Amino acid sequence: MSTNAVKMATRFGGGLFSSHGKPTNVQLLAQSFQAFKIQTRDIRPGSKPGTRPDSKPKQRFPDWFLKKERVQYNEGLTAENKAFVQEVVEDKFGPPAIIGGIATYKSPLKVEPLVRGEWTEKSRRTGVIARKIGVYPLWFKDGKKVLTSLLQVIDNHVIQYTPPGEFQQARKLEKALWKPNKLGCLLVGAESTDPQKFTKEYCGLFSKSGVMPKKILARFLVTPDAAIQPGTPLLASHFRVGDYVDVRGKTIDRGFQGVMTRWGFSGMPASHGVTKTHRRAGNIGSGGTKARVWKGQKMPGHMGNRWRVLRGLRIWRINTKYNVLYVSGQNIPGETNSMVYIYDTVLPLRKFKEPPPFPTYYTEYEENLPDDIYYSDVHQFSEPSIMFEENK
Amino acid sequence: MAFGACLRTISREYRLNVCITSRLFSSPVKSTASTLPSDAQEQFNEELERKSVTPVDYRFTYPEFLPDPAFARRNTIREKLERMDMLKRRSQIDIPEFYVGSILAVTTSDPHSGGKPHRFLGICISRSGCGLRASFILRNVIDHQGVEVAYEMYNPTIQKIEVLRLEKRLDDELFYLRDALPEYSTFPQDMDPEIKIDGAAVPVNDIKVKLKPRPWLERWERKNLKGVQDLGLPERFYKRAEELATPWEKYDLMKQYRATIPEEEQAEIFSEVYSELHNMEIARKKLKKRKTFIKPKKSG
Amino acid sequence: MSLIFGVYARRLHTTCTCNEIQKLTRLRVVDNSEIGKQAMAEGKPPRCIHVYNKTGIGRIGDKVLVAIKGEKKKGVLVGLKQNQKPLVPKFDSNNVVLIDDSGSPLGTRIHVPIPTVLRTILKERTHVKGTDFTKILAIATKYQDSPQQSVFSYLFKI
Repeated sequence: MSTNAVKMATRFGGGLFSSHGKPTNVQLLAQSFQAFKIQTRDIRPGSKPGTRPDSKPKQRFPDWFLKKERVQYNEGLTAENKAFVQEVVEDKFGPPAIIGGIATYKSPLKVEPLVRGEWTEKSRRTGVIARKIGVYPLWFKDGKKVLTSLLQVIDNHVIQYTPPGEFQQARKLEKALWKPNKLGCLLVGAESTDPQKFTKEYCGLFSKSGVMPKKILARFLVTPDAAIQPGTPLLASHFRVGDYVDVRGKTIDRGFQGVMTRWGFSGMPASHGVTKTHRRAGNIGSGGTKARVWKGQKMPGHMGNRWRVLRGLRIWRINTKYNVLYVSGQNIPGETNSMVYIYDTVLPLRKFKEPPPFPTYYTEYEENLPDDIYYSDVHQFSEPSIMFEENK
Repeated sequence: MAFGACLRTISREYRLNVCITSRLFSSPVKSTASTLPSDAQEQFNEELERKSVTPVDYRFTYPEFLPDPAFARRNTIREKLERMDMLKRRSQIDIPEFYVGSILAVTTSDPHSGGKPHRFLGICISRSGCGLRASFILRNVIDHQGVEVAYEMYNPTIQKIEVLRLEKRLDDELFYLRDALPEYSTFPQDMDPEIKIDGAAVPVNDIKVKLKPRPWLERWERKNLKGVQDLGLPERFYKRAEELATPWEKYDLMKQYRATIPEEEQAEIFSEVYSELHNMEIARKKLKKRKTFIKPKKSG
Repeated sequence: MSLIFGVYARRLHTTCTCNEIQKLTRLRVVDNSEIGKQAMAEGKPPRCIHVYNKTGIGRIGDKVLVAIKGEKKKGVLVGLKQNQKPLVPKFDSNNVVLIDDSGSPLGTRIHVPIPTVLRTILKERTHVKGTDFTKILAIATKYQDSPQQSVFSYLFKI
């Protein structure tokens, strides 16, 4: 449908062709809008008739990048009506259960189960979404102290799985044309929330798996053998003590900062004739042939609020009751109570030597774990004090 | 510190007020509780009773159970896990009640001295940190040499903490002992524990310490110290101290609020750990009785 | 004039809060070596003129070069004013024990307690063909002190 047709249709008014079995004006309008629509879903040149063969595929956001929050206007519901709405929610998702201090809902596992793959060295498991809840020390059996960050895996459920062929990474489109991605995509959500707080389309994401809508979503790239059935909960026991993990988080936002704070420059003297340049950077480039400022010159600017990954952190202890991982290091990016993503490490020497719980830990199939699991070198608080053996 | 003590009294009054008002407002909560099923009702009542039973002075006896008041660093689940770990450690080793100014002896197992336990006795000059990071510093003068050792309260290499003299001083921190004459921080290594009468209030030692002449480590005249003798400085030092003093801060309720855990939360925290701490206290008392019975035998 | 200068010179502190040992820091000799005793009695405590490590800041167990009574002597730091890690003692003075080039101490006894960490540190720094620091441990009478400990350290005496 050309633009002329639209113009015609608008000029002559609706219902022009409807009497002869031709499209109604609503259909017409829809078609005309179709013509204006930007081709975003097209991936391969020439795959779809009507597109220019040389047109570059547009970068697009993943399917789950939808408007999440809804305007919370006052609907003037009576108390009974509110209760009724709550009842409907509970009817659909079951009553809330507080597990490990966090309200969760039992997932129905609506989607048919996937075949559980076998772990190989090339397998890539899913990660989990966690919250950084604080830092406190643990002691080893040789008396040394280690500061550990506590990461709580909060109410994680698998939302959907997209196999490798159907999934295209948004940012690597052009590359993907040459080399098809071999990784599938697992969408994981954390923190069940009242669906009334979200938009309809956002809640629609969860309808297939039947999981309560989640506040936080993350996608993890996995090998097809590590695919997990949507609706499966991910727990802290997805990891084991002694494993190494990478933790990704958003650093603390420090706003616009000068060079002394941002890059650790030493500034200039406080006195000895120095005027108005006590905390300034000084020279930023030389003259001569290279009379310009080099790329990457450290300057004042916005500091923090960036995604950073801390790699190769060891898990010293796991609390399975509260789903808490005790990970070495007190410098995990982000503030306390901020969200982080935990992955199996990519560092070659710290990768798994033995098969981990694969594709994840299932409470139904595996034996029950104790509440607190310590790594063998870590001193348990319920053990007697450390005594050193007498050496000669 | 006079200033700190003053703050505390004011804050206590303020908190009491808050407590009363909150109780007034909490009456509707009770009414909802009465609609609960009988089991829940009983539990609720029990909880209420337990809360009222928790002694008020627990926040002074066990200050490290109160979390860091910095709001950005708080998380209820972390605090709970931390408290559970602290109780686990306390079930293994008796961490007694002590204050800044008390005389303690700490026995640790030392990897450097070939597995032999190591005992250090001294006066507690500061107590800091909360949760598992709680620590204190002991000071003593040995062979005319001042020695200080910092201990982490929950460090598992600590084998024993003994309180030899349970008392308080006039100040919250005794760092000025570093600049005081050595006799004020000299304690014999073979000091005998003093017997304390059960239930008696912790005595406050109002000793006034004499400082050495300047130079000092800090400007003590600006610290508003109570436990030191006249510093003997020229008038200008006191004038400057007065200029720099911030007497209005004790009226800053917001500052106070940010620096402390509210009374209601304290009650909640201590009601959670009360029963276990109380049991430990009883067990300790029993042990003490047995010890006192054995003692004459040993000496004879 | 010199009096005023003296007063002001005394007020000039280098790294007061850190209490770091660097060049020109005054130290206290705690062994009974002749030169050390004299220097301390005269009120002219030795100055550190070099720290034998890469940072230039002396930590516990580090070897230093000191200027004492117009001579250059080597010494080992056996106690620091600086804040220490938990369980490591902090002292009210910066203590040094004088040694000769082979690592054996100039004195025959140390009259203050020394931290037990020194045992591990000095043993680690002693090599078969290099300097033997463990002789310092042998002349120590007390480790951070305790009645049982002093007995032990006397036994340690060779």
